[in-house]
Amino acid sequence: MFEIQLIFAVALFSIGLYGISSKSDFLRIFFALEMLLNAVILMLAVSAQHLNLAQNLSLAYMVIVLATLEAAAGVLIFMIAHKVSNKIEPDGFNVDRISR
Amino acid sequence: MSLLILVAVLILALASITLEKTVPAMISFAMMMFLLGLYYLLLDEKLLGLLQIFVYTGGIVVLMLFGITVIGEEFPPAKARGWAIVAAVLVAAALTYLLLVVLSVPKVDTTAVTQQASYFSQHYADLVLIFALIGASLLYGSMKMLRFLRCKASDHV
Repeated sequence: MFEIQLIFAVALFSIGLYGISSKSDFLRIFFALEMLLNAVILMLAVSAQHLNLAQNLSLAYMVIVLATLEAAAGVLIFMIAHKVSNKIEPDGFNVDRISR
Repeated sequence: MSLLILVAVLILALASITLEKTVPAMISFAMMMFLLGLYYLLLDEKLLGLLQIFVYTGGIVVLMLFGITVIGEEFPPAKARGWAIVAAVLVAAALTYLLLVVLSVPKVDTTAVTQQASYFSQHYADLVLIFALIGASLLYGSMKMLRFLRCKASDHV
């Protein structure tokens, strides 16, 4: 059972990796980032349950806090990118225009 | 029951990345997060499950909805890229192999340093290789980025 749960976490991680590397738009990249972090949280929670590692749970709480901060920063970047370049795809985003 | 929830989580994760419309993608993302929270509750990790539901289904999804509402633009359809699928499948296979190899290693109580070193080299050499590859690629990427930034700076001068 433990291995199956870990394989599910790895599958979630690879779906997130696909979402990041397919570079469709900022929103989907954002979803994919959250999926990557959630795969890590799932792995930590399952290992805490089966291997009796209590410190993994505290790590999982830390990852949740990090994910929240990342979400707040991500939405800000998403909105600035749209305002600067009028595009919601990372391909059309030009960093040079922010500094002007 | 718990396996069914995990299967539903994977299906909803795929749907949220591949669906063309923004709002259904957002709903499937929120459902995925809710089911993950439910799964943690079933695992008897109550605080983690409640945090997951409150933070993700409550906070982050609302934040994203706010961003979408402010921008108010129709999102482009998701593009399917072959190499991204291949990369994701390769990483999944490598991680699964590594996890199963590491988990199947028998636990021994070795105290001597030489024994520990040989035990490590026998069972965890794959992990060291993978981490070395990741470190080398990060170093290569940061060097390329530095060179790119230097070129940009010289263009401005």
